[in-house]
Amino acid sequence: MKNLKKVSLYLLAVLAFGFSSCESEDPEKENDGEVITDVTLKFQELNASNALVGSVLSFKASDPQGIEVGKTPTIQSISLSKGKKYQMTIEVTNAIENEDITKEILEEAAEHQFFFLGQVFDSSILSIQYADAGGIALGLKTIVTVSSSTGTNNSNMRVVLRHDLNKSFAGASNPNFANFIQAGGETDLDITFPVILN
Amino acid sequence: MIQKAILLCLAMVVSLGTLKAQKCNLVLRGRVLHLENNQPIEAAYVWIPESSLGVATDANGNFALRNLCPGQQTIQITFIGHKEIKQSIVLSTGNSNLTFKMEEEAVALKGVEVHGHREAVQTTTAVSTLYGEALLQSRGESLGESLKRVAGVTTFSTGNTISKPVIHGLHSNRILILNNGIRLEGQQWGAEHAPEIDPFLADELTVVKGAETVRYGPEAMGGVILVNPPALPTSDKSKTEINLVGQSNGRAGNVAVSHSGGSGTVEGLGYRIQGAARRAGNVRTPDYFQGNTGMAEGSASAAIGYSSSKLGTEIYYSFFTTELGILRDSHTGNLSDLLEIIENGAPFTQANFTYTLNNPKQVVTHHLTKIKAHYHLNPSWKLNFQYGFQQNNRQEFDRRRGELNTRPSLDLELFTNTAELFLEHNLKSHWTGSMGLHLIQQANSNLPGTGVTPLIPNYDLINASVYLMEKYLKGPLELEAGLRYDYRTLSAARYISNDLQESNLTYQNGSAFLGGMYQLNSNLTFTSNLGTAWRPPNVNELFSQGLHHGAAAVEIGNADLATEKSFKWVNSLEYEGKRATLELTGYTNQIQDYIFLNPTRQTFVSLRGTFNVYEYLQADAFFYGVDLSGTYEFTDQFNGYAKGSIIRAKNTESNSFFPFIPSDRMDWGLSYEFGTDPERQNRLTLSQVLVAQQSREPDFDLAPAPPGYTLVNLSFAKKIQLFQHDFSVSAQVNNLLNTEFKEYMNRFRYFTADMGRNFQLKFNYQF
Repeated sequence: MKNLKKVSLYLLAVLAFGFSSCESEDPEKENDGEVITDVTLKFQELNASNALVGSVLSFKASDPQGIEVGKTPTIQSISLSKGKKYQMTIEVTNAIENEDITKEILEEAAEHQFFFLGQVFDSSILSIQYADAGGIALGLKTIVTVSSSTGTNNSNMRVVLRHDLNKSFAGASNPNFANFIQAGGETDLDITFPVILN
Repeated sequence: MIQKAILLCLAMVVSLGTLKAQKCNLVLRGRVLHLENNQPIEAAYVWIPESSLGVATDANGNFALRNLCPGQQTIQITFIGHKEIKQSIVLSTGNSNLTFKMEEEAVALKGVEVHGHREAVQTTTAVSTLYGEALLQSRGESLGESLKRVAGVTTFSTGNTISKPVIHGLHSNRILILNNGIRLEGQQWGAEHAPEIDPFLADELTVVKGAETVRYGPEAMGGVILVNPPALPTSDKSKTEINLVGQSNGRAGNVAVSHSGGSGTVEGLGYRIQGAARRAGNVRTPDYFQGNTGMAEGSASAAIGYSSSKLGTEIYYSFFTTELGILRDSHTGNLSDLLEIIENGAPFTQANFTYTLNNPKQVVTHHLTKIKAHYHLNPSWKLNFQYGFQQNNRQEFDRRRGELNTRPSLDLELFTNTAELFLEHNLKSHWTGSMGLHLIQQANSNLPGTGVTPLIPNYDLINASVYLMEKYLKGPLELEAGLRYDYRTLSAARYISNDLQESNLTYQNGSAFLGGMYQLNSNLTFTSNLGTAWRPPNVNELFSQGLHHGAAAVEIGNADLATEKSFKWVNSLEYEGKRATLELTGYTNQIQDYIFLNPTRQTFVSLRGTFNVYEYLQADAFFYGVDLSGTYEFTDQFNGYAKGSIIRAKNTESNSFFPFIPSDRMDWGLSYEFGTDPERQNRLTLSQVLVAQQSREPDFDLAPAPPGYTLVNLSFAKKIQLFQHDFSVSAQVNNLLNTEFKEYMNRFRYFTADMGRNFQLKFNYQF
């Protein structure tokens, strides 16, 4: 009986410890570090000798809340001139965290790649080439040529960012590669911009 | 006159005759049980000195003595290690049915274990246990896979590394898993969250197929799985067991060692230690490797206990850790990624064999500590106390950019305390039962620093309950009933963007059951159990809000969900003959306010692309089905088995089907034993698994149900004596024909075919 009392005392002590140590933490704000809120396409005209001329045209797609149900992103229309050649650069940011994701994509160039699809390419309105430093297929910097006879003044361009793909997959070196999913990986961005041709 | 005299004589003769017939034509039937735990005693000797008649009890503890004469007789029952029963009975007309309970004797023969304080499941619901050779055959498999051997149990899996047991169509938070008597509390709400337990710690896996809320608490709706380690030794006797398992597919290896022993100086003191490890690499389908499907797992447990005739105590600790890879291609960026891979039917990523694990992956650890004590207040009353502490840590890693790739995107820490105090009585009359208090306290925290808004909030939960169960035992009849009342509070808090969201919810519910078991004869038993169960909505169902990567889906919880209530009726007929055994179980389960994830058919557009939107809804559901299993011995060497299950589940409000309900399936096999020496077994088994296509599909699914399939398995088991101890070797080939198939209940059927041929080699040595 004495033993029993001792045992129950120990039990009580353990119990008291267990139950008191067991309370949930206060929740903390978690900043979504990976969310892309803004994607800006910057176009600057290239002259015949491939020198940058004129001012930079910026077109932005933004979703300030990141992924949240009920809110659709705002996407500006890209407006380009027929028969001209542009250098396009892409800037990707996380406005919630105030973070420049472009840099991260560049650092992990081996695992990322932009693909450019949509009607503008299907109807040969635009043509595009990768122009990233070091000759890699990444797509942060590209050369875009607008056809002089586009047939239509309204079209669209789909910009896809793939992460973790096999970049040496057959066909993946083409910026217009439609079967990009077959190269593996997952989609980080998939935005369709309206395109207006002047 | 003469006529009258003849008639009288005749009447006398007849009456004399009947008198004589009546005199010694009585049958006494009865049952002998352990007073301790109501387990039947086999081979107890029942003797009536007056009639010089005696008989031994059968495996169910039953006996029948025939040709007894009416009047006062003495019944004597003897069984080793138990107090002799000597009782005077008066036999009158008709058959008598009596139950005798034998008490263990404190003074016993040396070397005989007398304090068998093993808690068996005492229930009138259908129960199936996996132990001995069947368990040996399953070594190296996860809990879910092992339990597939039980008719009516299937798995809900996510690839080959994550499989959750499904009992009668219900899984996750609708069933309970008990690790050595303690409710296993992990993050079981997730379809891709495997139970945090290694079956290597157990020497028996028991499936209770009924609604056992009264006994085990809320959520035990579909059934309960008991993972029980062996009983602790109470004498100076040690036992060591070594298991080695190798598998060709995934090039997997398992090592498991356990050792138990008792003290030579302190009688009743025993201990057990056990450890296991597993490593596996990428799994191969018949045609290709599944990228990133390896795993590394470790587990350990230790127990020490002391048991005397009055007091029993046990301290138990178990640890489980796993790191498992998730098929790379199952993490899709958006809906079009998902749809394209589904159309392809196979992963796009070309993988090779490797043991290396990359993201996406899960890292889970689980600690469980238990303290248990019981005290026999007197031969009929026993006081029990049990306390458990659990810590569960779950980290899930996704493919992310930069430094974030090394950080988990889900990082949860769950603490659970459970305490139970109950009083059991085992009266010499026909009544046994228990009453108790049960307390569960839980705290869940998201560990900060994930860089992702948490899918579920931080929360505190308290569940308090009282229960009462009573069983009446008389001869071949057992009747059982129970009542329980639960009260639960849940307070949750989290930040969504910059808003602090808090909610406090309370739930209360009563549950009850009524069951019976009737031994129709010594071969045939019928059980029937009616039980209500309830399950408060889970935290994920209440509060989920966010992107579910694998499903390219946005899932939205609903804080107004009501408690799920069910009413399950299980009937089971068990036959055990000389050559054949048969178990037939039929059930219905009516669930009110069944919670399910419903596709809204809406999509949500973001910069990342399009996603399907799912919401948690409630509707009344009706489940019913049949499980059948049987064995037959054609000759002493040649025998066969067959088992199968059929489940039907419907949303009775919209008259539609639920997703992920197992399709009809059966398996059967034949085995041949070379030689008849039980010490040296050589057995060859050929079996076939047949799985039908699920034709009862929900209105919306990402992909249609895959076609049915057939698999052939072959195994050879050999048992020999090595240094006078049992040494078992078995060679198995699963999916012998390397059939390519997809299982409807595998969530990765969208992305990949299932595992191809797998050679396994298993060694077991006990000394």
